[in-house]
Amino acid sequence: MKLVQIAGYLGSGKTTLILALSKNLAEEGIKVAILVNDVGEVPVDGKVMEEYGLAVKDIGGGCICCQVAGNMRKTLGLLAKNYEPDVTIIEPTGVAVPSAIKEAVGLEASKTKITFGPIIVLFDTTRAEKFLNYDTLKRLVSTQLRDADIIALNKVDAASKEKIKDSKESAHLINPKAKIMELSSHTGEGLGSIVDAVRDLTVGD
Amino acid sequence: MKPFNGFIKPKSPAHEEINSYGLSGSVARKKAINYKELRRFAAELMTTISQSLLRYGAKDIGHIKAYIEHDNGFLHADTLGDPADVTVKGRDGEPVNHFRLVVNSVIYGVAKETVIEATESSVTSVLLKYRFEKDLNREE
Repeated sequence: MKLVQIAGYLGSGKTTLILALSKNLAEEGIKVAILVNDVGEVPVDGKVMEEYGLAVKDIGGGCICCQVAGNMRKTLGLLAKNYEPDVTIIEPTGVAVPSAIKEAVGLEASKTKITFGPIIVLFDTTRAEKFLNYDTLKRLVSTQLRDADIIALNKVDAASKEKIKDSKESAHLINPKAKIMELSSHTGEGLGSIVDAVRDLTVGD
Repeated sequence: MKPFNGFIKPKSPAHEEINSYGLSGSVARKKAINYKELRRFAAELMTTISQSLLRYGAKDIGHIKAYIEHDNGFLHADTLGDPADVTVKGRDGEPVNHFRLVVNSVIYGVAKETVIEATESSVTSVLLKYRFEKDLNREE
């Protein structure tokens, strides 16, 4: 089972991307499961995905990067055993730290046949400037971007060329090692590259 | 409406200044609501909550989401704070008298008590405007 994280700050377009990505992967015959962690106790994203016919496991009660990491490990173990997906996509909360999730999964990976796909972090180009203007928010968003194997500059259909350019420069400064892609989950621009990365890319643990 | 203890406990320093609050429950009214009005209701809910939180001084509307589930379909709505950018999607159906409503507010830059106050008062005011009875079939 390959594990892929689609991370990024609140409202960066994770759920929309996962809906499109899962559809594309399923059309290629890849069996996909989704593990969703909403902020708060009332799940919304998982419900929405279920309505679109996806295999979803919700984890509530806190953030999987810290508070409920144990629940996540247990759920992943059960998913691998009972559903046997080729790919499991994790949608963490918008405030989660991707490296902390990967570290927490590492304990389960040693017991289960889990390999790691890329950590894809979405960066909302329409709000990038705002994120980097507040100290605590900048710290969170920068941490998420630093953890990325791939940074997807999302919502490029709604942002000016200048904003996209600025977002790309900011993302590169924060994480020079990450591959940077332009994406619009809304129009499908760049989606093919994300599908390729999820299908083909395996990264070390 | 049943309040949930949906706060992020700041165990990770990354969660600093971000607070959330969620509500869920069943609401109903005597006259059935059609899908167009239901979509308007969902959009107005998003706008009212986000505008209230911005008035309270929120630095960023992280994400406000709602989910409406009924016998004939479902709707999900969300906003990042811009009134022009509220989305409402889902599967419409025949008019309904009751549905399950879930609302989640995740906000940057205001106290958790403020997120509770703004979310609860906004939900109440929009439900009243659309003549829904709240707290019906309270979920315990």
